[in-house]
Amino acid sequence: MSRLRVPLSPALALAAGLALASPYRAAPQDARTHLIIVAGIGGEPRYVQAFYEMGARLAEVAVSRWGIRPGDVTLLAEQPAMDAERIDGRSTKEAIDAAIRSVSGRAGPADQVFLTLIGHGSYQGSEGRFSLPGPDLTGAELSVMLLQLGGRRVIVANTSSASGDFVKPLAAPNRIVITATKSGMERNEARFGRWFIEAFAGESADADKDGAVSLLEAFDFARTEVARAYEQEKKLLTEHAVLDDNGDGQGSADPGADKVDGRLAGATFLGKGAALAGGPPPGASPELRALYAQKQEIEKQIAALRAARDTMDTGRYEQQLEKLLVDLALKNQEIRRLEGGR
Amino acid sequence: MNRNARPAFLFAVALLAAFAALAAQPACARQDVQRDAFAAYIAGDYDAAIGGLRRLAGAPDTDARVIRTLVAALAETGRYEEAEAAARSGMERPALAADLAVALGDVLLERGRRDEAETEYRRALAPGAHDAHTARLRLAQIRWERGDREAALDEFDRFIDIYNDSESLSPRDLMAVADAVRRLGVRDPQLFHDAVKALDEAIKGDRGIVDGAPAAAEARLRLGELFLEKYNSTEAQSLFREVLATNPRHPVALLGMARAKNFDGSDEALTLVGQSLEVNPHLVAARVFSAQLMLDLERFADARAQIDRALEVNPASLDALSTAAAEAWLRGDERGFEALRDRILGHSPGYAALYEQVAEMAVRQRRYAGAVDLAAEAVRIDSSAWSAYGVLGLNQLRTGRVEDARRNLDISFAGDPFNVWIKNTLDLLDTFGQYRTLRTPRFELVLHESEADLIGPRLAELAEEAYDSLARRYGVEPPTPVRVEVFPRAADFSVRTVGLAGFGALGVSFGSVLAINSPAALDRGQFNWGSTFWHELAHAVTLAASRHRVPRWLTEGLSVLEERRARPGWGDDLTPEFVAAYENGDLLPVSSLNNGFVRPKFPMQIPLSYYQASLVAEMIEETRGFDAIRRMLAGYRDGQSEAEVFRAVLGEAPEALDRTFDTWLKRRIGARIEAVNVQQQAGEPLSAPLTVVLEAGEPPAGDFFRQMGKAKALLAEGKNEEARPYLERARTLFPEYVGPENAYLRLAEVHEAAGRLREAADQLAELTRRSDRNYDANLELARLLEQLGDTRGAAAALERATFISPYEPALFERLAQLHTRNSDWAAVVRDRRALLATKPADLADAHYQLALAWFNAGDAAAARSAVLRSLEIAPNFERAQELLLRIRSREPEPGAEGSR
Repeated sequence: MSRLRVPLSPALALAAGLALASPYRAAPQDARTHLIIVAGIGGEPRYVQAFYEMGARLAEVAVSRWGIRPGDVTLLAEQPAMDAERIDGRSTKEAIDAAIRSVSGRAGPADQVFLTLIGHGSYQGSEGRFSLPGPDLTGAELSVMLLQLGGRRVIVANTSSASGDFVKPLAAPNRIVITATKSGMERNEARFGRWFIEAFAGESADADKDGAVSLLEAFDFARTEVARAYEQEKKLLTEHAVLDDNGDGQGSADPGADKVDGRLAGATFLGKGAALAGGPPPGASPELRALYAQKQEIEKQIAALRAARDTMDTGRYEQQLEKLLVDLALKNQEIRRLEGGR
Repeated sequence: MNRNARPAFLFAVALLAAFAALAAQPACARQDVQRDAFAAYIAGDYDAAIGGLRRLAGAPDTDARVIRTLVAALAETGRYEEAEAAARSGMERPALAADLAVALGDVLLERGRRDEAETEYRRALAPGAHDAHTARLRLAQIRWERGDREAALDEFDRFIDIYNDSESLSPRDLMAVADAVRRLGVRDPQLFHDAVKALDEAIKGDRGIVDGAPAAAEARLRLGELFLEKYNSTEAQSLFREVLATNPRHPVALLGMARAKNFDGSDEALTLVGQSLEVNPHLVAARVFSAQLMLDLERFADARAQIDRALEVNPASLDALSTAAAEAWLRGDERGFEALRDRILGHSPGYAALYEQVAEMAVRQRRYAGAVDLAAEAVRIDSSAWSAYGVLGLNQLRTGRVEDARRNLDISFAGDPFNVWIKNTLDLLDTFGQYRTLRTPRFELVLHESEADLIGPRLAELAEEAYDSLARRYGVEPPTPVRVEVFPRAADFSVRTVGLAGFGALGVSFGSVLAINSPAALDRGQFNWGSTFWHELAHAVTLAASRHRVPRWLTEGLSVLEERRARPGWGDDLTPEFVAAYENGDLLPVSSLNNGFVRPKFPMQIPLSYYQASLVAEMIEETRGFDAIRRMLAGYRDGQSEAEVFRAVLGEAPEALDRTFDTWLKRRIGARIEAVNVQQQAGEPLSAPLTVVLEAGEPPAGDFFRQMGKAKALLAEGKNEEARPYLERARTLFPEYVGPENAYLRLAEVHEAAGRLREAADQLAELTRRSDRNYDANLELARLLEQLGDTRGAAAALERATFISPYEPALFERLAQLHTRNSDWAAVVRDRRALLATKPADLADAHYQLALAWFNAGDAAAARSAVLRSLEIAPNFERAQELLLRIRSREPEPGAEGSR
């Protein structure tokens, strides 16, 4: 049976569009990101090498592209001797706990902490585990460790196989939990991590072209590319990544800024990403602030118009869209001129 | 004098003689003889059974079971005259006359003596007669055959009451009920289930040896035929097998099994029908089926011989006459066809099976338009010919009349919901809403929405080029628009082609309607969609040139040859497997090459036959000029037989051409025969030297695989330069080899490792000139050529890759950038559109790049539309904003900015 559809008037749609505006704010532009990267146990030399390289790549990109201070990046790996300069220690459970404790001691209240787990996972008994040298790490154990960070914004990305079991124990307010699989039962080697890291390294994940890659954009990018890889190899998709950021412990496979999960992730960036995606820089002139305010107003109107698209005549929609986009383009030109003559 | 008098007299004499011996035996001995005779009959020891039964039949107190079994045994072995005589002799005893009338009627009917049979069936209606229900059924069947359909259906309908009102029915009665409700299935298809039920009961109620001719075997055969009629070959075979387990020589069971195997596409059908005819050389149904198999193989003279033999036995057989009509129609003998048609419809007005059968045969000879006309005639004369509606609909689909097809397929399926082909096809038609139609001057390209922008533009260009090229060479233009359907799922392509999933072909041509798999349907590297399309369009041309009468082997051979002509690397080339098949005598002579396509004896015979057929075509062109090909097609068009065409155009009889080709082929591949060295590979796969550790020492200089094996071993030890001469020698020995571990790839690696990029590129270029499906080699070649500054060469390599797998965003990104560097804006637009269709993660950028391409190509409106799509996703996308402002201000583009 089909459900009756009530057409939305443009005015109502406009209001609805405005109502979709994110309630989450990006972290303050001077807030820092503390990055803890854990490359777990490889089991075979090729995995030891691969996990380390993925971790090192993320660390490098975080510093070089997103402006995270080198001192705010902790890289733990199975064999620190592989790169004693870059690897801060062996990726044991104790080392992870210590790294979190260290961050909690030096991070400001507005700072955010991003913990990435790269490696193998397993599901034993009724619990998912991340494989480490020594005892493995469970979601519950990690959850206890994270208590040290108080109410700070925390992002946990467990990119291992069988990682889906980490969502529930880690879910909390102001926390984004990303896992490569939807449950502990998806135990094949996961590819999500490679693409997730690539999202921060390349250009392609920045879907809205604001110059920054949000956690939501990175998640979407990785999810899309994983699906494409499986499709091209004509294999059944054996990993279904999920994201939870509303604290309910239920990961979403298709999060979005206007969906159950995705709003917080859409407003969370690595390092200076927040500044790139956000409003006027600290110390901006009143004139510049006014321009930013006008720009944001146009952005809201565009968002509302897009939300009303299905209720409008195409020609009228295109006309209004083009007008708003031109206004926005001109406004951006003015801003750039004031900011440094770009 | 009565024409039956002499056999009856002789038979009576024989009986008397036999009985004289038997009469001297005590009653218990006679019982033993009877039991042994029945057992021999059931086991298929017909001679023993007939001998024993004859001895019993003459006794004055012999019961009808003995004579019925004798008649059955004689009839099953094709000794119809003797069977008739035995029945008539028995009927001379008034007490047995009514009981034996059906047996006699059946023998008469088998000979086509319908009126006489009818008289006997009426005799069998006498009160209390053994087989009255069967007689009633036969009379109704004769009515049906005469065209008195409504009255016949009323008679059939009475059998439902017979079943419902009787507490117990004999197995033969139940078979009559089953036959009647099976006929009624034309009104209500669910009644087929009741037919199955009645036959099941008949099987369970059979008393076996006690009754002589056992009903269970016959019921199983009927049930098997019913299942086969309802497209269930597995169940049918199981029933035929059960009968054959008891009587391995049962000719009808052997025939049933042959039909079921043919249904499954197995080449066992020919053997099985041969076995059936060994037991009963006069079995009309087997002769007819054999003729149909011959027609499938386009062996018209052999088919005609089988039909003649069938008609000798039963000149009124509608099946045999219909097959004769099909043979005449296929040969283009219109008068012959019309005479047969009139004869059949004179016997049986409304006999739609005539047209349906001819239509089915026409389809097998690729005469789809003709099949449509024939099937339309079938449903015109019998509006309840549901299967004919199916044939009509399927062939309308094959000739591009999609809506007419859907309507007729719906009618067919409503009348016969068991037809899985029709159901699958209707299900497929329901998905056609997901397809987009692109039109070019001479083509309608129907592509799945997800692939329309990926494949459509390239297919459009290729299609027009192919049409021009082929039409020019053959001097024939296939009717336009040519409809090309491209399916991203192999199962959908298969259903479109044969109605079922699992068809292994890559493409199919119905004339001006082509269907091909898209590359998404198969693993990457399995095929090249461009060459597949070209192959199918070549069929359309050769079919048009011959009015669809070109033999299968020739049209396939020409299509492969045209592939090779179209692009370097397209079309099959020589393989070690082909050389080995030649050496092992596994190639078919040209005169029976059709068998390799229609009834292959082993799976590899199909690809071997494709390549072989292309070589035959190549030989004809090489030795007689291409005009000979055109004249051959014209000969087939004009209705000449293969032998006539061979003699007229090639000046040789088929057998002589076999020898000519063998000589030509030996010369063509002689050097490769030595290089492959089949004899030394006895018991091992040809490529074994590539996978096993080789013995130390120098490999034979002329042994391709051993040279490759040695090179591989050296490469594994990192001795690249030492491996090089072996690779080069192997390449010279068998340059066509482009399979796994080929010399080109390894040489390219060796050269690149040594920094000799140009040489590496040359190897890959040669490989891609010889293979149309090596995706990675094209990508690698493009990379090397880019490093060498050859952007056009790199773009060409990537273009080739798009014909293998057009799904990776990076492929189109690279192509667009190369075309940008070459300022080929039309190509940039095409590739940017394709990139968008791959659904890249960065959609905003993809739309922006497309907008830029349109802008550079001079289409501001398209550019504006594309840039709005980009900014709709990413309103603050700075470069897109700038482009939008530039488009609005109509500023000239300062230069190519496509690359990031």
